[in-house]
Amino acid sequence: MNKQLLVDCELCNGCGLCELACAVSKTGQYQPFRSRIRVWRQEAKGMFIPAVCVHCVEPPCQVACLMNVVDKHPVTGLTTRRVEGCIGCRACQVACPFDAACYDEVDEVVVNCDHCGGNPECVKYCPTGALQYGELEVTTGSRRRSEFSKWLGG
Amino acid sequence: MGRIVIIGNGAAGNCAATAIRKHRPDLELLMISHESLPAYSACALPDFLAGWVERNRLFIREERDYARLAIDTRFGQEVVALDTAGRKVVLERERIPYDRLILATGSRAIIPPVEGSHLPGNFVVKSVLDAEAILRHGPNNVVVVGSGNIGVEVAEALQVRGCRVTLIEMMEHILPRAFDAEPAGRIAGLLARQGIEILTGQKVLKVGGAEKVASVYTEDGEMPCDTVVWAAGVKQNVEIARAAGINIGRLGGIMVNSFMETNIDRIYACGDCIESTDILTGRQTLSLLWPNAKRQGEVAGLNCIGRQVKYEGSLNVVVEELYGTIVVAIGLTSRDLAGENLGVLEEEGEDWYYRALVVDDRIMGFQSVGITSGIGVVTALMKKRTPVSEIRRIMADPVLARKVWWWGRIGHFGVLENQVD
Repeated sequence: MNKQLLVDCELCNGCGLCELACAVSKTGQYQPFRSRIRVWRQEAKGMFIPAVCVHCVEPPCQVACLMNVVDKHPVTGLTTRRVEGCIGCRACQVACPFDAACYDEVDEVVVNCDHCGGNPECVKYCPTGALQYGELEVTTGSRRRSEFSKWLGG
Repeated sequence: MGRIVIIGNGAAGNCAATAIRKHRPDLELLMISHESLPAYSACALPDFLAGWVERNRLFIREERDYARLAIDTRFGQEVVALDTAGRKVVLERERIPYDRLILATGSRAIIPPVEGSHLPGNFVVKSVLDAEAILRHGPNNVVVVGSGNIGVEVAEALQVRGCRVTLIEMMEHILPRAFDAEPAGRIAGLLARQGIEILTGQKVLKVGGAEKVASVYTEDGEMPCDTVVWAAGVKQNVEIARAAGINIGRLGGIMVNSFMETNIDRIYACGDCIESTDILTGRQTLSLLWPNAKRQGEVAGLNCIGRQVKYEGSLNVVVEELYGTIVVAIGLTSRDLAGENLGVLEEEGEDWYYRALVVDDRIMGFQSVGITSGIGVVTALMKKRTPVSEIRRIMADPVLARKVWWWGRIGHFGVLENQVD
């Protein structure tokens, strides 16, 4: 996979614009509960964790799927779901370590992030820069550099 | 490399075929199955019985998919024997030579040999044909014997169809292989609220009726019914393997190593028919669950074409949706862990409950009712065998907790995240 949606929890303030942007773009409804990115808010700790599909190389959801509708795209490496075959059993939702397989209660199927075909709506609306989208080397490279400079006291 | 023959058209067999095709589009691949249908999901059969899933949506492959993947098929044919010396699979009318053989023969549902269990009106739910036979029969008053995953799901499905359903379990609570008594009691409550009658600690002694099923006898007496669904367990299909000299384990499954190889050269086995290693205990187990079978099939397929992949072990993950409530069981139960120094961490709310079984600072089992979020991270940490003290140390440190952000979801389960005094 060459491009990645990168989440930085330290920057997330839990505003939820990403959820709205996603829900509108995918379902046409302003319903955050139908979004494919979901922020888990722990206000007491000041922790906000956006959960979005990271497109695992060997996805646990693919193994868990009872209908074999989860595939890895041979070119982009994205984890895709053929939702027309999904029976909504939610086995993949339970299997996902990132809580990123989202159950759509209206359509009664499980969906996941598809990077909006290379132009993710959530990233456009994120006001803090907690969500970034870019080449794998750039996004993880900058993350690695900032971690390392902290180690060095910079 | 010559032809690879796969016996079995279930989860394991098809995953093996897919894995082989992904890396070796050139190899000759042949699949044999005693069923004449293309691959379908047996796990969705209760949903089909309830009417939520139409028949055509059960299938995960169509006839033409086999042609597209260049898989030669012999469907609707029984394997008579294996000629391991001459490397041939013997069918009724032909002998098929193989270079590598994958056994994914699966299991079959058993009907205990009680009186009357041969009468019309006795059913199992293992294949599409079984499910269709039940629907054709037109059940009204149903007794489901055995309350494993299939038993419970079938009871729900038939109740939803409008049948009067009684669920009989031999052990002291329902879902005995997956759940402890406490969560099982809550699940029984979910079913009972919808009108399913549940009898535990009872055995079916006899099925009454002259020409068709009319009643079921337990220790408590006679219970009128028109349909009996047996969900009392499965038996591994290992007869042809045993006859060919393949080692069978103590639990009744084919013995394989972690590369899914049997004791006979060039023969691999995967799926319901084998004994695998439990990832948590390291002991032999019959996993009998769809995700385990899929992974085993993949491992068998890859090893068969010379890509060495090791099977990491089976983990039991049971997920059921019963009347809109998700119930989950991962790993072992208190019964499996009897004799260990077991700590039970549990918590409940208005409409949810969970418990974690902790042995030696490791989570060995997890069971929940009415929870969907955060379970994936518990499963992952169980597989990694992360100590509970380590989880708590990281979650207590705000800087570390943000670094290992995906662990954050463990916060759904306060008793795992926080030290309890």
